[in-house]
Amino acid sequence: MIATLLVICSLNLQAGDTLKKGDDSATIVLSVKSASVKEILENLEEQTNFHFFYNHKAMSSSEKITMTLDNVSLESALREIGERADLVFKVRGDQIVVKKKPAVSVISMFQREDYFLSKQDIDRVLASSKEVTIINEISVSGQVIDEVSKPLPGVNILVKGTTIGTTTDADGRYALTAPDAGSVLVFSFIGYTTQEVAVGNQTDISIKMEPDVSTLSEIVVVGYGTQKRSSVTGAVSSVESKEISALAVPSVQSALQGRVAGVNVTNNGSPGASPIVRIRGIGSITGSSDPLYVVDGLPTGGLNSFDPRDIESVEVLKDAASAAIYGSRAANGVILITTKKGAKNRGMTVDVESYYGVQNAWKTLDLLKRDDYLQYGTELLTNAGSTLPARFSNMNDPIYSGTSQTYAQTETDWQDEVFQAAPIYQLQASLASSTEKAKLYASAGVYGQDGIMVGTDFKRYNFRLNSEMNISKFVRFGQTLTIASSNQTNLQESGGRTILQHVVHSVPYMPVRDPTKLGGYRAPDNNDGSDPENPMRIQEMDENSTDVVKVFGTAYLDVSILQSLTYRFTFGSDFSYSKNLVDQPIYNDGFGGRTQHNLQDNRTTWFSPLFQNQLTFNKQFGKHLINVTAVAERQDLKFSALNASAQQSSNFIYSLQAGQNQTIGYNDTYETTLLSYLGRINYEFAGKYLLSASIRRDGFSGFAPGHKWGNFPGVSVGWRVSEESFMASIPSISELKLRASYGSLGVNNVGPFDWQSLISLNTTFPFNNTNQGGAYFNSLPNTELSWEKTQMTNFGIDLGLFNNQVTLTAEYFQRKVDDLLLRVPLAPSMGYTVDYLGNVGKMENSGFELQAGYNKMDGDFTFNLTANIGTVRNEVTDLYVPGSTIFAGSNADFGGTNITKTETGHSVQGFYGWVTDGIFQTQAEIDAANNADGDAATKYQSQAAPGDIRFKDLNNDGVINESDRTYLGSFLPNFSYGLNFSGNYKNFDVTLFLQGVQGNEVYNGTKVLTQGMLRLFGAETDVLNAWTPENTDTAVPRAVNGDPNQNSRTSNRFIDDGSYMRIKNLTIGYSLPSAILNSFAKGSVRKLRIYASFQNLLTLTNYSGYDPEIGYRNANSLVQGIDYGQYPQPRTIMGGIQVGF
Amino acid sequence: MRNIIFLSSISICLLIAISCDEDLLEKDNRNKQTTTTYYKTASEISAALNGVYAVLQSNSMGGREWFFLHDLRSDEMATGGGQLETHRNQVLIGTHDPSNGVLSSVWTASYRLILRANAVIQFAPDADITDANLKARYIAEAKFLRAWTYFQLYAFWGDVPLYQEFSTSIADAQARAPISDVKALVISDLTEAISVLPSSFSGNDLGRATKIAAQAVLAKVYLFDGQYQEAKPLLEAVVAAGEAAAGGTALMDEYFDNFTEETEYNKESVWEISYTANGNYNWDGDGNDYGPNESWIRSQEYSAVGWRNLIPSDKLLAEFENNDPRLNYNFFFTGDEYGDPSSPKSLTDVDQRGNSSVFKGVTQKISWKKYSVMYKLDPGGFWDKIGINYRMMRYADIYLLLAECENEIGSGTKAVEYLNKIRARPSVNMPPYPTAAYPTGSKDQIFKAVMHERMVELAGEEQRNFDILRWRKAGKLATEPISYFQANKYERLPIPLGELDANVNIEQANQNPGY
Repeated sequence: MIATLLVICSLNLQAGDTLKKGDDSATIVLSVKSASVKEILENLEEQTNFHFFYNHKAMSSSEKITMTLDNVSLESALREIGERADLVFKVRGDQIVVKKKPAVSVISMFQREDYFLSKQDIDRVLASSKEVTIINEISVSGQVIDEVSKPLPGVNILVKGTTIGTTTDADGRYALTAPDAGSVLVFSFIGYTTQEVAVGNQTDISIKMEPDVSTLSEIVVVGYGTQKRSSVTGAVSSVESKEISALAVPSVQSALQGRVAGVNVTNNGSPGASPIVRIRGIGSITGSSDPLYVVDGLPTGGLNSFDPRDIESVEVLKDAASAAIYGSRAANGVILITTKKGAKNRGMTVDVESYYGVQNAWKTLDLLKRDDYLQYGTELLTNAGSTLPARFSNMNDPIYSGTSQTYAQTETDWQDEVFQAAPIYQLQASLASSTEKAKLYASAGVYGQDGIMVGTDFKRYNFRLNSEMNISKFVRFGQTLTIASSNQTNLQESGGRTILQHVVHSVPYMPVRDPTKLGGYRAPDNNDGSDPENPMRIQEMDENSTDVVKVFGTAYLDVSILQSLTYRFTFGSDFSYSKNLVDQPIYNDGFGGRTQHNLQDNRTTWFSPLFQNQLTFNKQFGKHLINVTAVAERQDLKFSALNASAQQSSNFIYSLQAGQNQTIGYNDTYETTLLSYLGRINYEFAGKYLLSASIRRDGFSGFAPGHKWGNFPGVSVGWRVSEESFMASIPSISELKLRASYGSLGVNNVGPFDWQSLISLNTTFPFNNTNQGGAYFNSLPNTELSWEKTQMTNFGIDLGLFNNQVTLTAEYFQRKVDDLLLRVPLAPSMGYTVDYLGNVGKMENSGFELQAGYNKMDGDFTFNLTANIGTVRNEVTDLYVPGSTIFAGSNADFGGTNITKTETGHSVQGFYGWVTDGIFQTQAEIDAANNADGDAATKYQSQAAPGDIRFKDLNNDGVINESDRTYLGSFLPNFSYGLNFSGNYKNFDVTLFLQGVQGNEVYNGTKVLTQGMLRLFGAETDVLNAWTPENTDTAVPRAVNGDPNQNSRTSNRFIDDGSYMRIKNLTIGYSLPSAILNSFAKGSVRKLRIYASFQNLLTLTNYSGYDPEIGYRNANSLVQGIDYGQYPQPRTIMGGIQVGF
Repeated sequence: MRNIIFLSSISICLLIAISCDEDLLEKDNRNKQTTTTYYKTASEISAALNGVYAVLQSNSMGGREWFFLHDLRSDEMATGGGQLETHRNQVLIGTHDPSNGVLSSVWTASYRLILRANAVIQFAPDADITDANLKARYIAEAKFLRAWTYFQLYAFWGDVPLYQEFSTSIADAQARAPISDVKALVISDLTEAISVLPSSFSGNDLGRATKIAAQAVLAKVYLFDGQYQEAKPLLEAVVAAGEAAAGGTALMDEYFDNFTEETEYNKESVWEISYTANGNYNWDGDGNDYGPNESWIRSQEYSAVGWRNLIPSDKLLAEFENNDPRLNYNFFFTGDEYGDPSSPKSLTDVDQRGNSSVFKGVTQKISWKKYSVMYKLDPGGFWDKIGINYRMMRYADIYLLLAECENEIGSGTKAVEYLNKIRARPSVNMPPYPTAAYPTGSKDQIFKAVMHERMVELAGEEQRNFDILRWRKAGKLATEPISYFQANKYERLPIPLGELDANVNIEQANQNPGY
């Protein structure tokens, strides 16, 4: 359309050299009444030497013209005729080509790439045309089809270097006139690789478009709109649906792992548990560093409710300028998720996809077997002067009365019991349709995943309906809706200990089950001198499961006020309801037990409506392209929670009704409101110089009075060097863009009343055995609580080589957080339980990101290779009080000392402890150490004995104490990376996806459990190599119950290199050739692909625990990278089928 | 064009309709009151006071850690075996360091109690309480609890941070205040409590701090520093009040009645922490939860068939005279009956996990019976529903302290009289002093009898640790009872690492010596 209109510009209507074919002084005299165009043109042919060429059919209009021309130039005559009859004229030699003038009014306002010229504009253009061009035009037509040979409508076709172009119609057909044989046609369409074809002497050019697998696809979703990739000036990374659905994972978060430079994803728990997503480092010390998730324009959480297969694209807004449009919630980055809206081309497709697989633990530890355990236990207790458990001398007793099996005959592999082969499956059916009037996408699916540890699973049923309708030329209505119901059975903890802790602690001669016990499980009792809980009992008998129903939808109305000005009203509704059941039946396993069936029913309702008013102005003025967006919006949250509990005397009653001790525990209801005004202007000059500036003003009810409002500006500039004329001499560089941005962001991660000191009433004292309610407050109020402010600068370069066959994006960023929302640990003596929430402290993250791709799209073997790598350097630059520190991670079972320290000048939560210095081999060595400071009475390590670990006296004061601790490493990797290869050879396809992190440390808590020798528990076989006077050449200290020397204190002994590289995914697929498909399905089956896929096929790591991918426990920040025995990532083998109709 | 105007109007209307009224950002908290809206009425101040008592009862205090801390530092206890958690064992054998969880729990909870008490003390004067006496009583109870806690703190740690008001800024963390300052506040608080509180309560006020409790605590404060002169009249007042109320000696005939659920708030009781068997044990450190979980874990921790974490030390067992019935009130021996008295079970060696004791030359399993629920039921492996009240102070203790005072500054005869009241208890009925083993011919001899009598009468009642501390300080111990003791270190606990880490005014340089 653009092209057709602009053709007018070159119309020759000036009597110049080439127009004097005949009489150059010729003037036209014409007087007609109700004449047809044809008649008029014939008349003109007689008066001049020109011949008119036209399509007779096109000129068969019945319209009759009455006009009088008296002695005017040919030019004026044609202009007049053109005006009356909607015609345009083009001079070619001594011929004049006549065409119908394009109808401006039918241009759809929604095709934003189109241009509008009013009638006045056309007149102006016509009037100003001075040139005369003689063109050897070639009419070209053809059909464009997609990768499955279906016609592709809407494809843009442009004659390269000109403004001549058109688009394909509903049948994928097009026709245009190329200026000459040297013309090159450029075919482009969103989601497909742009193709160029030289015209030569062809008149029929039909091509097949190939889906674009490069990351530089044309249109990217940015906040409150879309933008051409080439115009983007911020740091925005896109991930496409193919990558998102490559892995068998419940949510998009896991699917992002390794896909985007600068985005770190750490899986953290059993199926359905949310992974940790960090964009460009750690944003907050004690607040959440989670990014903002925006699904179809509505900020939300609970991504487990969104089927990754419904997702069209994911955009990650990494820098401040692109994220500033989300203002107060965007400091940790924004992840924009766009769901599928309809078929890419007109028509209807139905797809059914399914996979089934099995997951397994890929690693187990070498734990003590029965006889080794007895040997180790004997040594451990004897060395401490403790009595041996009675069982050690009664191993020939039956394990319970009524059986002949003895303890000596029992050998339980607790890892084998708890780990299981776990199924994973998904089935999804989707329908996509697109017509001129409406687009539709509907899907339904089920996803199920059992955990590799007994008693964990996640299951989801999901339904989606998205549609968009053009109601009139001016009004469009669209909506998205998903309804998902999921159930998650959580991995539990018992007694503050993880299941894996109980597993490695379990006693190998104990049976799992014991029919003589209430409940049927068995745990070590008084005779065993050890008290791990039976992990199988916890996971099989106790239950902690959560049902979530989420109804999430948006509806929007687009109204075209002017051709360049549209108004959009959006209503969004995010509703979720969750019901958490805690079920703890009655049992007695010989050591612990319950006499009542404890039940808890915890429910929360979350309703967050969004109202949004958006005005968008988009206009091209010559070389200036301006896009202005203005939005006013309001998002509320209405939250309520009700936790109830009761006890039943029967294990078969699950109702709270008529139970004992019925209580309503937590009952909370609140509302928050976020009011926002925002504006953005994008300006582009000649497609070369790009500027984007935005500002958002947010007011949030959760902050203290007078501190509720914040302003968040962002600005970015770009220079497309490749568009400059001087770059034409380097044709290998197809794209070169330099970008820079700066912006300010916030975080409003505070509760609705965190600034107040609230009265709690959840305590009682039973005077005279009668409970009387108590009241207290346990937090320090902060009447100045406000936004956390993040400033980020970003420099980027985008490079495309050889027609974007090779792409490269590099970024450098610097992210400074000020007024950090920090939970300041108060001195315990102040008496407050809740750490003080203040805007205190500063932190910096900076890093480089590199993303590179290579596409080989021709030949039988095509492939695409992408790689990304990101580094982040983190430093806390200020805390609340000079010299203040935050310690975390202490746990009695893990040596009892804190594990991490956060202070100014260091990266957040560095591992902090003592440094080992070998093992004291003799008493003489200990004496020498005691005497090192000249005073043997001051002990070096007060309880040291031969065989104990010697720690380094870092401050050389002759005594090992708190002052001898130092930084031992960080959980933050030096860099993280991903490498993806996807190739096709004929009908085979293969995907290989590697992901890894390098240079991070893990605090191997599992090793503290299995080698710490704190008390008598199951352990790793390494303890058999413990130091003894006879076995001195060992790194394992002596076995002594109670660990008097605190050999298990936080030290580099338990620091492991956490680097790993994973074959995250290997998929090999085969698509049936269409010939075969047609032969048996008679064309009803469009596509049939089968594949085998392996997840976490291979993990290369030096980490000695279960799995190097360690998140955090109990959602507690500052303990990341400490392995307390978290759920390890499984290895999955699966097969799948995709059928398209 | 008409459409455009129409639609534009709609748009503008919508814009206006939800345009942002900034009052929307002012939200009321419909769930909780705040420190500025609460503490206004009698019932609110009363509830705030209950909150102070609740900490006293919590897991970190009387519920668990506090009695452990006393017991682990006394010579009455020995490890039950490998099941004793490492951090507790460290205190028992003297290898605890500033990161030790037992001592940091008690430290933290003590100051939480003080925060809550300070809130009552500060808010109550301005509260709308018409009954002036009631208002004064609320404040006095809070001051009593604050004083008791500060006394515990400085007795354990020496100089400690002193907060007479709750802190309002993160910069309010206090440096260590000299004991003398802390003690001055303790004395002034208790003096006020004595002048305001009634001698006894009844009905659903049973368990509140009384005048006699305040007098008894103040006496202990003085005795901790050997101030017998100041302590004696207070103890005499307590005894007078108790005997007047009891109409005779303020001792129960049955020694064991002091440790059962059925005989709580009896005449021998000076002050109790209340527990009930309703619900389970509340593991929350501060005693906060929503359930009626107000039971006690003591029975589970020490019982013969429970976790049996601590057992009596051989030394304590040996302290009992032959035929002292209190031996069997305090301890279970293999073969003893336990459980439902109507169908008792016989305790076996196997039932009792862990270590054995050596008693009278015989290695055997001996376990704590005092405060165990086994006197009336079989708890099996696990029982966390014990409602026995903890007797913080009872008259036997008062009589014995008075005997000690008389011996030091009064009459030896009177001292022996007080001692013999304890021995004459019908269920004890031990021959009166002097005996062959414990002559009372001299002040020293009477003191030995006091030491002996306190040890056997108050075994496992968390008196021994402070007795050792004060006697050691006064130079009254001929032999050091704590095997690992090392002067200029073990008199005090280390300031917890959490305090060193988070309090900018307390650094390693301010740590107690030896740590």
